[in-house]
Amino acid sequence: MSDRYPRGASRRSILQQFGAAAVGISFAGGLSACSSPGERVVNFYNWDTYIGPTTLKDFQAAAGVRVEMSLFSNNDELFARLRAGNPGFDVIVPSNEFVTRMSEANMLMPLDRAKIPNFANLLPEFQDAAFDPGRKYSMPYTWLVLGIGYRKEAMLNGETPNSWRYLFDSDQYAGRIALISESADLVRLCGKYMGLSINNIPDEALTQIEQMLIRQKPRIKKFHGDDGQDLLASGEVDIVLEYNGDIAQLMAAEGGEKFDFVVPQEGTLITSDCLCIPAGAPNPDDAHAFINYLLDAEAGEKITREIQYPTPNAATAARMDAAYQSNRAIFPPADVMAKSEYGAFEGDARARMYEEIFTRISAA
Amino acid sequence: MEQSWRQAKAAFAAIALPPLAWLLLFFLIPLAVIWAYSFGENTGPVTIDLTGTFANYLRAIEPIYLEIFWKSILIAGLTTILCLVIGFPVALAIAFASPRTKTWLLMLIMLPFWTNLLIRTFALIAVLRENGYVNFALEWLWNNASWAMTLAGFQPLGEFEPLKLLYNNAAVVVGLVYVHLPFMVLPLYSALDRMDRSLMEASLDLGAGHLRTILLVVVPLAAPGIASGVLITFIPALGAYLTPDLLGGTDSQMIANVIERQFKRANDWPFGAALSFLLMYLTFIAIAIQTTLQRRADRRGA
Amino acid sequence: MSEAATPRPRRERPGPLEYLRRWPLRIMVGGTLLFLYLPLITLMVFSFNDSRRNIVWEGFTLKYYEKAFSNASLIEAFTNSLTIAFATTILSVILGALAAVMLWRFRFPGKTAAEGGMALPIVVPEICMGVAMLVFFARVMPWPQGLPWPANLGAIIIAHTSFAFPFVATVARARLASFNRELEEAAKDLGASEWRTFWDVLVPHMKPGLIAGALLAFTLSLDDFVITFFTAGPDTVTFPVKVYSMLRFSISPEVNAASTILIVVTVALTAIGLHLQNRNAQKTKA
Repeated sequence: MSDRYPRGASRRSILQQFGAAAVGISFAGGLSACSSPGERVVNFYNWDTYIGPTTLKDFQAAAGVRVEMSLFSNNDELFARLRAGNPGFDVIVPSNEFVTRMSEANMLMPLDRAKIPNFANLLPEFQDAAFDPGRKYSMPYTWLVLGIGYRKEAMLNGETPNSWRYLFDSDQYAGRIALISESADLVRLCGKYMGLSINNIPDEALTQIEQMLIRQKPRIKKFHGDDGQDLLASGEVDIVLEYNGDIAQLMAAEGGEKFDFVVPQEGTLITSDCLCIPAGAPNPDDAHAFINYLLDAEAGEKITREIQYPTPNAATAARMDAAYQSNRAIFPPADVMAKSEYGAFEGDARARMYEEIFTRISAA
Repeated sequence: MEQSWRQAKAAFAAIALPPLAWLLLFFLIPLAVIWAYSFGENTGPVTIDLTGTFANYLRAIEPIYLEIFWKSILIAGLTTILCLVIGFPVALAIAFASPRTKTWLLMLIMLPFWTNLLIRTFALIAVLRENGYVNFALEWLWNNASWAMTLAGFQPLGEFEPLKLLYNNAAVVVGLVYVHLPFMVLPLYSALDRMDRSLMEASLDLGAGHLRTILLVVVPLAAPGIASGVLITFIPALGAYLTPDLLGGTDSQMIANVIERQFKRANDWPFGAALSFLLMYLTFIAIAIQTTLQRRADRRGA
Repeated sequence: MSEAATPRPRRERPGPLEYLRRWPLRIMVGGTLLFLYLPLITLMVFSFNDSRRNIVWEGFTLKYYEKAFSNASLIEAFTNSLTIAFATTILSVILGALAAVMLWRFRFPGKTAAEGGMALPIVVPEICMGVAMLVFFARVMPWPQGLPWPANLGAIIIAHTSFAFPFVATVARARLASFNRELEEAAKDLGASEWRTFWDVLVPHMKPGLIAGALLAFTLSLDDFVITFFTAGPDTVTFPVKVYSMLRFSISPEVNAASTILIVVTVALTAIGLHLQNRNAQKTKA
């Protein structure tokens, strides 16, 4: 038995050494993250890479307030985190439907317009919104549309897949299609394909949509969780349902010759990511100042240059170069935009219904 | 023989109190809140009324959800069996290696699992996808075989069709095995190590082959290790949702994916709670069956 | 009967129990390691990829390593994850060992309930436990905000320990099943106190189980995403949460670089540890 002891003991000593080393590393790193008391901090809960490279530092230099940015990857996570109470965030970035949902649940603080003079920078059509009447709770940060990203060389006869049919109702690209896994967006876009309005789809139409997607399912490779551009880039699929900004970034990286983006002629769903202050924010004054800063022309320009999403800010748009303004992947043509609508939040019961439809489609 | 707690009250208190108190405060109480929710109703976007209704459970046992439960059990079961088949020989080899090699091998097995699961899964995707390394290697082999055949005067093989290894149920199983292998290897190793080797050697001396020795001597002795390995592999695999989400296709929905959507997009916490608890009840029934069978086997053996 | 003693000449047939020297098992272990490491090697190679999206190889560069080192939030997330993992492992091993001994040694009313209770954290779906912890720390026992590091990680550490220590207990208990109770009684007969019996007789026997359990707990904690997501505060980002949030815009090679660094550091520490252990063993022999 005795010669076993050194082996066992020394295994423990390895762990001890690990422990000492890791504590050392942790302390060194962790101390740098300590905040000094009395420092003004804004806790910013944002999507990843949805900010300019120096924005936070610039704000700190301008206003003397540090910004701590935490990340979430979709609206559901944001909502689930804040549902039981605000764990300390000052500024959040929900999408339009969630602005409605959260304001109805009293999770948002009304904005004090007096503290946000840069409101005047916004394009007129964004100064009010159907999903937030009077812009009481939100300021627009970006807007985006869903459309079809595709690989040019894989298209039959070089055609442009100008209709939702190619994704929802056709076997032309069977096995090379990817759709989003967002149940509400998916179902409503199918409604758009069938010629209905995105909101208030009648129940018989929902049954038809479910049948159509079940028929289409064998031809779909994956319901992706917003990484459709990666599936396209890696060669897994040739045609994908994705946001315009994601595909625009892909095109910028790979050159517009390989990939392209089109908004189908039937029209699409418009979304807008907005800046809000959740109820119970620890530092609302600086939160307002930060939102105001993000709406500033120059700060907005740096952000837009980085993320390549459409901006609702007229002053920022004016400073961007012609390549950005005429990029059809970023700004869809006007006739299609005329047929496109904002998705409205239709209540939790309806959201649950969409989820059940998606569960049934996935299980079929 | 177990000792009655009365015989050593102070020791019992010192040993039992910390884990039980922790379990109660930081696990059972939070869970009880969610359990209460499963009998509740949504009365608003963030409020739940505890009405004592069974509606959520009734909804949870609808055929569509039972089907998904069953599919998840099959996938998790297949994963566990594969982990056992792969993990047992590996654990055996490590347990009987020299001490230096043993530590190194243990570390080598554990090391991949200290890399973030998401990154590992994306790396697995890079290996398995149509433009991934497995397909590159197969394509190279195919093209060379084709060339060799032309040399021999045969028709060359056709165009290489990449294997679709990803975004289907097989990929989910591979991914789950990849994630859960150490949860099988470690308990097996811990049981096999310091096992009484003289029994094995006796069996070998008496003429039984290695396979017989392993099946008839080692496995029964290591049974508690095997049981705990199976337990801590099967159950987390049953509740896995990131792996089926990332690696699965349109057909690979597992029960945890459904539960996750209830807590997030559908904002239906009572129903999500009901589904979770149904999953737990089923698992407990399975554990209870297994424990009863084991007790019967022990009694027969003793 | 120790195999560690004399180095055998290579040509000699392997002893009856030296399974690793037999070629079928070598293939088995080698194949498993290949399966485990192929994606990792891919990951490490791609950390040098000169491409933001990191899908196709586009050229060799070290710039993502520079970015990883200078990315303060990535480093902070890293250290948070490591700290949480270590604290969780220590707590889990202590609680798990106590729980294993409790269940193995004593008969007490409600024992079946206790066993079931210990199995619960293994059985609960992570998402359910995450939400439970969210509600708990928001409504039932609010964790004070704005605490200095590392206390602000407390909620996460508590949550991780709660689901990790039953794993340790399960593995340790399987180990205890092979313990000969007479040894314990012998120790007591010889006059050892409860504590000494526990520390000097039971714990050494449990060691492989405890070490296996500690490795499990460390892994579970380091890699956890769901529960951490729900219990982290606004200023406590951990590595998995950070990586997952990068999903929307593709995971950049920076993350690969950070993971490669972690792997290299772990291997280096292991090598150093083993080297010191060998020197230790040499000294005790001499």
